[in-house]
This record gives sequence, C-alpha cells and structure tokens, in this order.
Amino acid sequence: MKHRTLFCCVFLLLAVALAKGQRTPDYDNVVVPQNRIDARDLGYPPLDVIPKGESAITALTVAPNGNLYGATSGKRSHLFVLNPRHGYVQPLGFLPGTTAVTNALAVSASGEVYIGSAPGGHLLKYTPRREDEQPLRVKDPCEVTDLGQPVKGESILALAIDRRVGVIYGLTFPNAHFFKFAIAAGTGTDLGVVARRAPEGEKFETTKMVSRMLALDLKGNVYASGEDGFLFKFDQERGVLGKLPVQAPAIPGREPWTRVDAFLVDPSGLIFGGTSDGYLFRFDPEKMTINNLGKPLLQYRITGLARAPNGKFYGVGGDEDDMARLFSYDPETAAYEILGFVDVNRRPYYTWQAHVIQAMATGLDGTIYIGESERISRLYLFYPW
Amino acid sequence: MNLKPKGDRTSPVIILAALFFGTVPWAFCAGKIVTVDYRIFPGLAEMDGNWAALKVAHDGKVYAGLACHGCDGHMVMYDPATDRVTDIGGLTRLAGESHLRIGPQSKIHAKFGEGTDGRIYFGTHAGLWFNYARVGTKEGYPGAHWMAYDPKTGKVEDFGIGPRYEGINTGAYDPKFNRIYGLTHPRGHFVYYDVASGKSVDKGRINNWESICRTLGIDDEGNVYGNFGAGQIYKYDPRADEIVELPLHIPIRQKGVSLGRDYNKSETHWRTVVWDSQEKKFYGIDESASLLFSFDPRAGAQGEVKRLGQLCVEGMNDRREIPYATLTLALGRDRKLYYAPPAKEFDYAGSQGVGVSHLIVYDLETGTSQDRGEIRLPDGRRVIGLNSADTAPDGTIYFVGAIEVRDAPGEESKPAGKIGDVPYRLALIIYHPKPR
Repeated sequence: MKHRTLFCCVFLLLAVALAKGQRTPDYDNVVVPQNRIDARDLGYPPLDVIPKGESAITALTVAPNGNLYGATSGKRSHLFVLNPRHGYVQPLGFLPGTTAVTNALAVSASGEVYIGSAPGGHLLKYTPRREDEQPLRVKDPCEVTDLGQPVKGESILALAIDRRVGVIYGLTFPNAHFFKFAIAAGTGTDLGVVARRAPEGEKFETTKMVSRMLALDLKGNVYASGEDGFLFKFDQERGVLGKLPVQAPAIPGREPWTRVDAFLVDPSGLIFGGTSDGYLFRFDPEKMTINNLGKPLLQYRITGLARAPNGKFYGVGGDEDDMARLFSYDPETAAYEILGFVDVNRRPYYTWQAHVIQAMATGLDGTIYIGESERISRLYLFYPW
Repeated sequence: MNLKPKGDRTSPVIILAALFFGTVPWAFCAGKIVTVDYRIFPGLAEMDGNWAALKVAHDGKVYAGLACHGCDGHMVMYDPATDRVTDIGGLTRLAGESHLRIGPQSKIHAKFGEGTDGRIYFGTHAGLWFNYARVGTKEGYPGAHWMAYDPKTGKVEDFGIGPRYEGINTGAYDPKFNRIYGLTHPRGHFVYYDVASGKSVDKGRINNWESICRTLGIDDEGNVYGNFGAGQIYKYDPRADEIVELPLHIPIRQKGVSLGRDYNKSETHWRTVVWDSQEKKFYGIDESASLLFSFDPRAGAQGEVKRLGQLCVEGMNDRREIPYATLTLALGRDRKLYYAPPAKEFDYAGSQGVGVSHLIVYDLETGTSQDRGEIRLPDGRRVIGLNSADTAPDGTIYFVGAIEVRDAPGEESKPAGKIGDVPYRLALIIYHPKPR
C-alpha cells in the first residue's frame, strides 16, 4: 500500500511536471480545438518554401478537380497548388510583375487558372500541366500567359468566374471599375464603376469603398458592394451593371465606410456576406432583401467565409493589426459558435498562430482552407466535421 | 549605505542544507557565497518584476525599468555619486494615459540604450494579456510607446504609440542609426522607431508569441541580430532595411517537455547576447541549457558561431532540469563575463520554488568558468533571482532582481509578492569585481 501511494505521488508529480511543458488548458480554450486544425508550410522547408515577405496568402480557390490554388502578396506574388491527395503545398513560381493577388483567382471548367494582378492590372492565365511531376518553383517565375489589362491603369482587386459560359468578372482598384472578360474571345469590357468618390474622411483617407470580393449567383449574375455600402448587380442576361436598392448592414451613419469583405453563395441561391464592420448578412437576390445576421465577433471585418458540407458557414474575423478568430454560423438554428484563434500547436514539431487571415475556401471533401496573410504565412486546414 | 567593494567571501559549509536536499547539484558549491551590495527602490514595493531593463550610462548613472502586473511600471535611476534612487515616473502617466483606465504601461521589458545626445531610449510593454482576449478592445492595452529620458532636463519625451495593441517584448537601441528596435508581443513583429525622422516602421512578423526572441543584439555597424526557428540567426541591415536569414545556428539543446517549464519558455533561441566592442563579436547564452557561445558576425562570409561552455550553477551541467536562462549576462571591464543563474526555475512570482542566484564568471582570456557561489545580501538574505545586468564604466556590475524581504530596521519590508513562501521585492544589486 505504501509503495502504491508513493508510486501515485511520483506519477502525479511527473504528470504535472510534464503537462507544464505543454500549453495550459486555459489557452487551449481560446483557440480552435487542436484535433480539428492543422497547418502546412508553403513548400518544403526550410529551403524550398515561398520566401518570407512574399508568402501572405490573399487568394484561395478550388478547381473543379478539387485542387486548391492559392496566390500570395508581398515583395512578389507566388502561385501555389495543394492536391488534397498529397496534402502538401506545391509552389508553382512567382508571378512576374505582380506584388498582390487579392481574391482575384479563378479556375475555369477546364482547369485553367486565371489571376488578377496588382499593381499592373494584368489578367494572367496559368495552365496546369502534370504538376505532380514538376519541381517546386520558388525562385523561378510561374509560366503564365498575359491576357492583357482589362481596365488600363487599374489594378485587379477581385475576380469571379462563370464556368458555364467561360466569362470572368473583375473589380478594379483604385477606381472601382467592374469588367468582364470573355475567355474564348480574349476580350475585356469595362462595364462601369461601383464607386465614384471616396467617402468623407480625414485627408489621408482617399480609398473608394468597394467590396473585396465578387459573388456569382446560381443564374450567373454578379454582385459587388460599392459606394455607401450599396450592392451592385451585373445582370448577365441584360448585360448591365446597376445599383441595387439595398445596402450592406452598418450602424446608421457608417454606411459610407462599409464594404463587403467576403461573399458566399449558398446552394439555395441565397448570398451571404461579411462586412468591414464584422456583420454577417443574408441577401436574397430574388426578393431583393438583406437581413443583418448580427456580429459574431467583437472585431472588425469578416475576411473569409466558407460553407461546410454540414451546411454550416465558417468565417474569420479580425483586422490587420488584430488577432483573427474563427467562428461558425448555422443557418438552421441561426446560432453562432466562436471557435477561437486560428492556431496550431504541434510541439515539438511546429507551433504557429495566424493573426491575419485574408482568404478561405472549401475543398470538395469539405476541408476548409484558411490562408494566413502575414510576413510569414501558412495554409491552415480546418476539419468542420 | 556602504558602496565599498565587498568582494567574495567563503562562509562555513552549509552541510545541513546539503544533507537536507540530498545530492542536489548546488551542494557541489555549498559554502561559497558572494556578498553583494544592494539598493531597494523606495516607495515602489509593488513593482514585481524586471526583465532586461537595466542600463548604466556613460556617466555611471543606472537606469532600470520596474514592472508591475495590473498597474503602472516605473522607470528609476540610481546615481552612485549621490547614492540616490530616483523614481523618474510611472510609465502610464508618462505616456499620457493615466485617465483612460485602460491596459496600463506596466513594463519596460527590454534593454535601454543611450544615444549620442545622452538620452536614454526605450519602449514600453503591457503586463497582463488575459489570453489575448483584450487585444484590440477599448479596455485593452493601447500599444507600446517609444520614449526617451533626457538626463539634462529630467524629462521623458513620448514619441507616441508604435505597434498598436502590442508591447515591446524585446528591444535595443542603436546610437549609430538613432533607432529604437523592438520585437512585439503578442504578434512577434520586428519594429523600429527612427528618432530623427519620427517614423515608426513595422517589418512584419518574425516569431510566434510563445517563442519571441528575448534579446536583439546590435553590432558597432548598426546591424541588428535576433533568433528565429530553432536557434537560427537573422540579421537586419539598416542600410538595406532588410531582414536576412543567416545560415547560422546557436547551440541549443534538443527540445523536450522540460520539468515544470512554462510553455512560452520556448527553449529555441538565445536568451541574451552582449556585444564585445574589443573583439567585435557577441557572447550569448541559450535559453534552454545556458550554453555559452560566441557569435562573430564578421568571420567568414556569413559569420561564425562557437560553443564556449555552459554557464550554470556548479553541478548542474548537462542536467535536464537546469533552470531557464536569465537575462543577466554582462561583459566586465576585466574581460570576464558575469552571469547570474538561479538555482531553481525563476520568474518572480511564477518561479518554481525558492532558490538562490549564483554568480558565474567566465574568463574570456583563459576560457574557464567559475561558480563563485550564492549571491547574498550583507545581512545574509538571499538574492532569489536576477533578470538583468549591465557593466558600469568603473567596472561595477549591476543586476536587478528579487531579494528576500524581512523586517529590517530602516528598510521598507513591504513585499511585491511571494516566491514560494518567501516574500520578495525588487532591488538593484551592486557587485564590484576584484581589481585585476
């Protein structure tokens, strides 16, 4: 009995001591559950990774075959792919003349990847060819075709693609042009602007407020937010861009500085969005109504939205000087769940917390990809099931 | 108070203690005691920690940053000429934030620097983080201020907030380029304030929150060095305004679940480095096993790192439970490195039990180290742990850390808190090496 007690004491002491070297439960409680998240370096570390300062993930999209494509921003932009069967990130090379690709990545039905560049405003095309057999390209340029500048003098801010008809839609910066690009014809058309002037502000505030993403509904219509937070619609049947009588939700008076950060099109046809003030909303394009679904986080911004196979939406909030948090929204119950900081703790192998997130996408198997956007960035895989 | 050198003295063997603790490592050096002088910080008993923030200026005046979790940190000055400690002020007040009732400026958590204009430059830091639940909120910490104390006027100039919502966890000042550098907590960004232009610059992320390198080393050309990953060294070149990763690693022990060590004591970086202006190289100590190394940034194409030994309490070498390294490395005028490790894992109120600091001396000329024994006050009280050090122009080595509090005539006996069951408060420790 004495020995047993002694053994128990020693065991307990050791257990406490060992546990102390790992993270305490109180911090684990403020981050995403660790059995539901993992991270990937952007390449094969330590040498063959997209360099620090060039690795901020600012665009993610999933191809029809399930491959995830991503683009980075920084001193140079890079393109990368993740084949879910392999599970690692394969850098495809840097994009010539490009320092930013912001939600401006689209994949056609045939698998070609279209990239909207900044600051040049060129539309680039990357055609995947036996990627599995290619070496990692970190120091070499990505082989792309330059399709020209859809709107001269403007950077491309966001892209969306209608795979059925082979048309790419885009939004530009700084002057908020909306354009379309017909893939087959190789021609771009400037369809007008969604913001003519910057909102009233301090002298250093000169940015026109437009959405950071475009939404393509089930009928092929395209939506953006523009001046005073109003939604704009490109009616693909009529070929016309028009201002809608609905605004993204905002505290009264803050509409001029409101923009939609992220859109998500639900299979039901409803469009969900997250605003720069951190509100989630539901837009019914048939009834032309917007419902404010509230603010899941105390923080500004909803920088990514993705839909899981279980019907729940997952989103990320937080600004660039903040610490991003992941949340979910269940449309069935209208309930939010705050999942916490986007953090992966696999000590002693790797440990990293994402503070700034700018892109999310859902894989064909339901994995939610989360793109960190910092000097040193990683791709996070969140398992919603 | 007596400022005369006390030197080392050996007291009778502490056999009883050694027997009590069994074959504990510190029994190897039982009996050796280093008696030091000290000054408390009058009226500042509440101050509960000091990390890195200690600087002896060219005129011998000693500046320290005292931390207070949940309240204002203070900057203090000790003038050995007059033997007076002066409270320069509460940091929240100096930052103009006293009336806001938000996260206070609780610390100077990084090294000070002295400019060619004689000013003392530094950045401030928060005390409590609440698992980052208040980052970016209106009640949370507003961000670190860049500041300078001017000894000529006795005034502190506030240059304003640098990194928003974050503190300067690690910092150093470079007089050549007149810049205050920092690593922020919690987001681990490399930042600086250019005093001449008034520009605050963020070079982006370099570390994760649980492994932010604790010392930035600056050479005499103004290059800034730090650690990332598994002990790898990076260099910031102010001429190019670029961070470059060097193919150099400091010696670190294999990472493991150490005994009782906090999660955010990451065991992957140097804990501290000091610049040797004579040999033009750094000397440093790793976090995990107190491994002493030199780093010569000019050797070869990329620099060179050499392991020199291990600076720990005698008998603890190569043991797993060696306490986490402290920020107390100082290069003496006598070409000796002075280092004060604790006998037990030390971090003020977060310490793992009560130990006594030792003084380890490494002779750069002979390459030998010596544990000179436990550091004690003249009345026998223990110096429980130290976490900053600097060398005065006259060769005096100063430390700041925790001393045992007892009721003593003429002394404030109010403690800052307890380490184990022992009440402690902060004090400036004064050690006079023997003349050569």
